[in-house]
Amino acid sequence: MKRQLQRIYMALIVILLYAPIITLVVLSFNSSKTRAKWGGFTGKWYAALFQNDTIMEALYTTLIIALLAAVISTVIGTAAAIGIHSMKRRARTVFLGVNNIPMLNGEIVTGISLMLLFLAFRVRFGFLTILLTHITFCTPYVILSVMPKLKQTSRYTYEAALDLGATPLRAFFTVVFPDIMPGVLSGFLMAFTLSLDDFVITHFTKGAGVDTLSTKIYSEVRKGIKPEMYALSALLFVTVLVLLLLVNMNPQDSKSAPTFFRDAEGRRHFRFSRRFLLGRLVPALLVILVAGGGIYYGARAGNGNTNDQLIVYNWGEYMDPEVIDLFEEETGIRVIYEEFETNEIMYPKVKAGAVAYDLVCPSDYMIQKMIDNDLLAEINFDNVPNIKNIGSVYMEKSRAFDPENKYSVPYTWGTVGILYNKTMVSEPVDSWKILWDSKYSDSILMQDSVRDAFAVALKYLGYSLNSTNIQELSEAQSLLISQKPLVQAYVIDQVRDKMIGNEAALGVIYSGEAIFTQKENPDLEYVIPKEGSNLWIDSWVIPKNAQHKENAEKFINFLCRPDIALMNFDYITYSTPNTEARKLIEDESIRNSTIAFPDDEMLADCETFQYLGQDADELYNRLWREVKSK
Amino acid sequence: MKNHKKWLSGPYAVWAAGFTIIPLLMIVWYAFTTEEGNFTLENLTQIAAPETVKALALALLLAAVSTLICLLLAYPLAMILASKNVSQTNFIVLIFILPMWMNFLLRTLAWQTLLEKNGVINMALRFLHLPALEIINTPYAIILGMVYNFLPYMVLPLYNVLIKIDRDYINAAKDLGANSVQSFLRVTLPLSVPGIISGVTMVFIPSLTTFVISDLLGGGKILLIGNVIEQEFKQVNNWNVGSALSLVLMFFIVINMVLVAKYDKDGEGTTF
Amino acid sequence: MSNKLINLVDITKVYDGQTVLDELNLYIRENEFLTLLGPSGCGKTTTLRIIGGFENPDRGQVIFNGQDITTLPPYKRQLNTVFQKYALFPHMSIAENIAFGLKIKGKSRQYINDKIKYALKLVNLEGFENRSPSLLSGGQQQRVAIARAIVNEPKVLLLDEPLGALDLKLRQDMQYELIRLKNELGITFIYVTHDQEEALTMSDTIVVMNQGYIQQIGTPEDIYNEPQNAFVADFIGESNIFPGLMIEDRLVEIFGAKFACVDEGFGRNKPVDVVIRPEDIDLVKPKKGIITGRVTSLIFKGVHYEMDVMANGVEWTVHSTDMVPVGEEVGIWVEPSDIQIMHKPESEDEEAVSLEES
Repeated sequence: MKRQLQRIYMALIVILLYAPIITLVVLSFNSSKTRAKWGGFTGKWYAALFQNDTIMEALYTTLIIALLAAVISTVIGTAAAIGIHSMKRRARTVFLGVNNIPMLNGEIVTGISLMLLFLAFRVRFGFLTILLTHITFCTPYVILSVMPKLKQTSRYTYEAALDLGATPLRAFFTVVFPDIMPGVLSGFLMAFTLSLDDFVITHFTKGAGVDTLSTKIYSEVRKGIKPEMYALSALLFVTVLVLLLLVNMNPQDSKSAPTFFRDAEGRRHFRFSRRFLLGRLVPALLVILVAGGGIYYGARAGNGNTNDQLIVYNWGEYMDPEVIDLFEEETGIRVIYEEFETNEIMYPKVKAGAVAYDLVCPSDYMIQKMIDNDLLAEINFDNVPNIKNIGSVYMEKSRAFDPENKYSVPYTWGTVGILYNKTMVSEPVDSWKILWDSKYSDSILMQDSVRDAFAVALKYLGYSLNSTNIQELSEAQSLLISQKPLVQAYVIDQVRDKMIGNEAALGVIYSGEAIFTQKENPDLEYVIPKEGSNLWIDSWVIPKNAQHKENAEKFINFLCRPDIALMNFDYITYSTPNTEARKLIEDESIRNSTIAFPDDEMLADCETFQYLGQDADELYNRLWREVKSK
Repeated sequence: MKNHKKWLSGPYAVWAAGFTIIPLLMIVWYAFTTEEGNFTLENLTQIAAPETVKALALALLLAAVSTLICLLLAYPLAMILASKNVSQTNFIVLIFILPMWMNFLLRTLAWQTLLEKNGVINMALRFLHLPALEIINTPYAIILGMVYNFLPYMVLPLYNVLIKIDRDYINAAKDLGANSVQSFLRVTLPLSVPGIISGVTMVFIPSLTTFVISDLLGGGKILLIGNVIEQEFKQVNNWNVGSALSLVLMFFIVINMVLVAKYDKDGEGTTF
Repeated sequence: MSNKLINLVDITKVYDGQTVLDELNLYIRENEFLTLLGPSGCGKTTTLRIIGGFENPDRGQVIFNGQDITTLPPYKRQLNTVFQKYALFPHMSIAENIAFGLKIKGKSRQYINDKIKYALKLVNLEGFENRSPSLLSGGQQQRVAIARAIVNEPKVLLLDEPLGALDLKLRQDMQYELIRLKNELGITFIYVTHDQEEALTMSDTIVVMNQGYIQQIGTPEDIYNEPQNAFVADFIGESNIFPGLMIEDRLVEIFGAKFACVDEGFGRNKPVDVVIRPEDIDLVKPKKGIITGRVTSLIFKGVHYEMDVMANGVEWTVHSTDMVPVGEEVGIWVEPSDIQIMHKPESEDEEAVSLEES
C-alpha cells in the first residue's frame, strides 16, 4: 500500500517534469509551422535542421562554449579546491564566501554585473565574453563538488606516497587525484550542464553574430519557435537519454554488485563507477562532436577574412534566409545576422557600440531618434542604384523621419490594425472601441511595446499618436489601465500564433502578419479602424560606427532588386515598397490585397511615428510601466 | 608543503576578483551615479516608485509561494528516493537532472502550449467534460513555471542530506517510543535543516530574480522585479536605475547568504 | 533465572537471496545477561534487530512475555536499544537526548528532570546535561546512549556491539560498568559482540552463532571448556584441534598416539575432532609423556610462554609458565579430563561452519 502510494507520487512528479518535454517532442513532428495547430505528422524538420546553418551554428557555439567552460572551470576549480582545502580556517571561509556569490546571486545580477564590466573595459561582446561569463558561474560548482571529496581523502595516503619516494606532483596524481576524481567528474558534468542550459547570463553578455541555443530560442520566442528547434532539442534529449540508459544498463554494475553489503562503502563504489562511465562516455562523444563541428565550421569560416563581413541587425523572422545565402554566394561577403524584437531593444545595443553593426532595420520614429543622436551614417546612393525600384510615394513618406532621404532605404511598410476571428466576433469591427468591450474579456491581445500600445489608445481618443501632451497621455494611460483586465496577454509577434490557434478573438497586429495568419486560419479578418492608425515604415540604415559600410550598401542594393524583394515579400508577407517587385507577385488576390497594399483613403487618418525626444520617451516609458504593473 | 598548495587557488582568486567582485562593485558604482558619473541617491529612490514596489512585492510573494510548494513536493520525494536502494536512486536522481538537457526556455514555452485556452490540458479536460483550467497569463502559471523549473534544485539538496542521516537515528527514535510521525518531526526534520535551507535558497533566489518565466507564462501582464530590471537595461536603457534595483535584489540575496552560512556550515546541503 | 521472557521460534531471514538466519530458535530468560557471539555476518546483529523490531523475519515468531510481537513496530515494544555507534541525536543536548523517550510518552517535566539526573548519575556523567553529543568522547557517548535507553525502564536492553569503538582500557572498564548496571537495574541484557573475551567476562549465557546457525548455547564455562564443535573451540580462546579416532570409550587416537580421555558413547573406531587447550598440555621429560616432540618456537607472552612443539608430524601449541628452550626434546602429557571430544560435522548445516570466516 505504502509502496503503491510512493510509486504513484513519483509518477506524478515525473509526469510534471516530463510533460513539457513530451510536448516538445510531439511538436517536433508537427508539420504545421505554428505550434498552435497540429498539421499532421512529419519528419521534415529533422531533415531541415541539418540544413539550417543558424541553428547548427548556435548548437555548435553552445556545445563548444559548454565544453570549454566546463574544462577550464574544472581545472581552475579543482586547483582552487585543493588550495582552499589546505588553507587556514579563516581564509577558507572568505574563499568559500566569495565562491558562493555567483551561485546565490540571482542570475540576472551576475549577468548585469558582467555586462557592466565588459562595457567598462571595452571588451567586444561576443564569443569570448560568453565564455568568460560561463567559466565564472561554472567554477563555483566545480569547487563545491570537489571540496567534499577532498575532505574524505586521508592525508596519510598522500604522505605515504611521499614517504615511498613519490614527488609531491606524482603523489598527488597517483594518490589524491583518483580519490577526488568522482567529485571532479561530477563538477565537470555539472558545469557542462549549467553552461548548456544558461540563458539569463548569456542574454546580457553575448554579442552580435554569436548565439547560443538559448539566446537563439529567446529571439525566436516572440515570433514562434522554428520547428527545427524542437527537432534539435528532441534529438539532444534523446541522445542524453540513450547515453544514460546505456550507462545504467551496464551489466557490470548490476550483476557484480555485492548486493548484500549495503554499507557506505558500497554506495560510494556504485556512484563512482556510474559517474565514471557517464563522465567518460559523454565527454568522449562531445569531443568528437565539437571537433567535427569545428572542422566543418572552421572550413566555412576560412572562406572569408573579417573585411568581407557584414553584420546585419534585423527584426526577428524578417528576411528569407535564402536571400542571405544568395548574397553570400554572389559577393563572397559573409553575413553575420542577428535579430531583435523591438526598436527599444535594438536602440541601446546600437548606441552602446559594443557590437559594430553594419546594417540595421529600425522603424520610422527610431530612425529619427538615431539621426537626432548622430548614430547614423549617410548612405552613398551611388552604391545603391536599385533605389529606383522603390516607389516614390514611400520615399516621400520617409521624409517624415528622414527629411532629406539621406540615411534610410525603405524595406517594408504597413499598418497596425485589429485582427479578429469571425467566429468569435459577430458584430462589425471598425473601431478601436471594440478593444474596450468587456464582452471580449480575456480574448484581447495587445501589443507589448510602448508606442504601439499608446498609439491605439491615443487614436481611439482622437489624438495624434505622436502626442506629447501630458493631459492626452494620461487620458490614454487611464484608458489602457481600464483595458488591462480585459487583455489576455501583452505580446508582440505571438499575436500571430495565438490568433491562428483560436486563443483570442481580437488582436492588435501588424498588417504584414495578417496575410500570413489568414492563410493559416481563414476565419481571421484584418481591419484598419476608422479612427486611423499607425502607418509604419521599416528602413535600412547604416550606423556611424559600421566597419563595413560598403558591404552594407551592397546589401541594401541587393535587397532592392525586384526578384530579391519579392522573395522577401513571399517569406515575410510584409508589404514591400518595391513597386517593381509588387508587379512580379503572381497571386492576383495578394497583389491587389488591401491588407498588403491599402489604398490612400484607408490611410487618410494614419500617421507615422515620430521621435519625440528623450523627455517624452521617458514619460512614455514611465506611463507604460505603470500600466504594466497595475 | 601545505603552504605550496595554497597557491593553487591563485588563479581562481584572480578570476573571482576580476569577474565576481569587481563587477559587483560596478553595480554599486552605477547605482550611486548619474549617467554623467556624478554621485546621486536618486536612482535608489526609484525603488520607492509604486510600480517597482509592486513588482518587488509580487516577486517576493510568488517566489515565497513557489518555494513553499517546491519544499512540500520535494520533501516526500526526497524521502522516497533516500529510502530506495542505491542502484535505483542513482538512476532516479539522474531522471531529475535529465530535463536540464532540454533547453530551459523551450521547456517553459512548452507549458504555454499545455496551458493555453485551447492547449493540450484544456482539450483533455474538455474531452472528459471537466471544467477548463484557466491559469495561463496569471500569477498561477508563473508559480507553476517556477515550481517546474526549480523543483530539482530542491529535491537534490534534500536528498543529499536525507541519505546521509544514519538510519540508526530513526531506529533509535522508534526504539525510544516515537512513532513514524514523531520520529520524523523530532529527528528527521531537524536533521535535514541544512538541506532545507540550501534547497530554499536554490529555489527562492532564481524565482525572485526571474524575468523569463514571468515573461513567457505571464502574458506580459505581470511585471516582477526581474522584468523591471531587465527592461531598465535592455529597453529603457537606464543602467543606473537598473543597477540600483539590482542592488535592492542583492540585499535579499545577502540575507539569504547569511542564513545559509549560519545553517549550512559544512556545505553538506549543497546540491551537487 | 526464572521464566522465558523472549522466545524466538523458527526465525528465518533472507536478504537478496542470501539466508542470514535459518530457522533460529532461542529463548531468553528474565534478568539474564545473554550474549550473541560470532564473527561478522553470522546473523547476530540481525537477530538483535528482529528482537528490537527494526527488521521483520521472513518466517517465524517473536514471543515476548507470552505475546506474539513479530510485527509490532519498535516504538510499541518494551525494549530499548543501545546502538553500535550510539546514534545520539546530534541536534539535541545530552539532556534532550535522554529525555526523548520520556517526552514522547508525555511524562511530566519534573519526572523527566529527575530521570535525567538519576540516569546521568547512574552512568557517572553528572553535570553533562547541556553538552552536545559531538563534544563527548566515545566512552561518554556510550554512557549517554545507555542512560537514554534505561530511563524508559525497559524490560530488556539490547546492546549492539556497544564497546566496539572504544579503546582496550576503556572497554574493560565499561565491561565492569555494564555488569554493575545490570545488577543495579535488574533487567535483561541482550548483548551482541564478536569479542569472545567480552562475552566470557560479562555473560550469564553465551549464544555462539555462525552463518545464521546457533553453534552452541551455554554458560561461559561450558562454552570454553566444552566446545561442541571445532568452530566454537576455535572461536573461543586458542585451541589445538586435531582429527582423531575414537577407538573405544575413554580412548582416543591422535596421529597414531593413544590418549586416555573421559568421553563415552561415541562408538568404536569413529572419526572425531579432538580439542586440547594449549594451557592444558603439560611438557614433561621426553620419556614421561604420551608422545615426544621438539620445541620449534618460543614466544614470551607476559603471563606465560607460548611454545610450538613438533610431535608426530604436527605442531602442538602449548602455554606454560615454564620455559623450554627451542630445540629441546620434550614429552607431551594431557590429563584425560582436559581432552574434549567432538563429533565430526555430519549434516550440511554443521558443514557451514567455516574457520576462515572468523
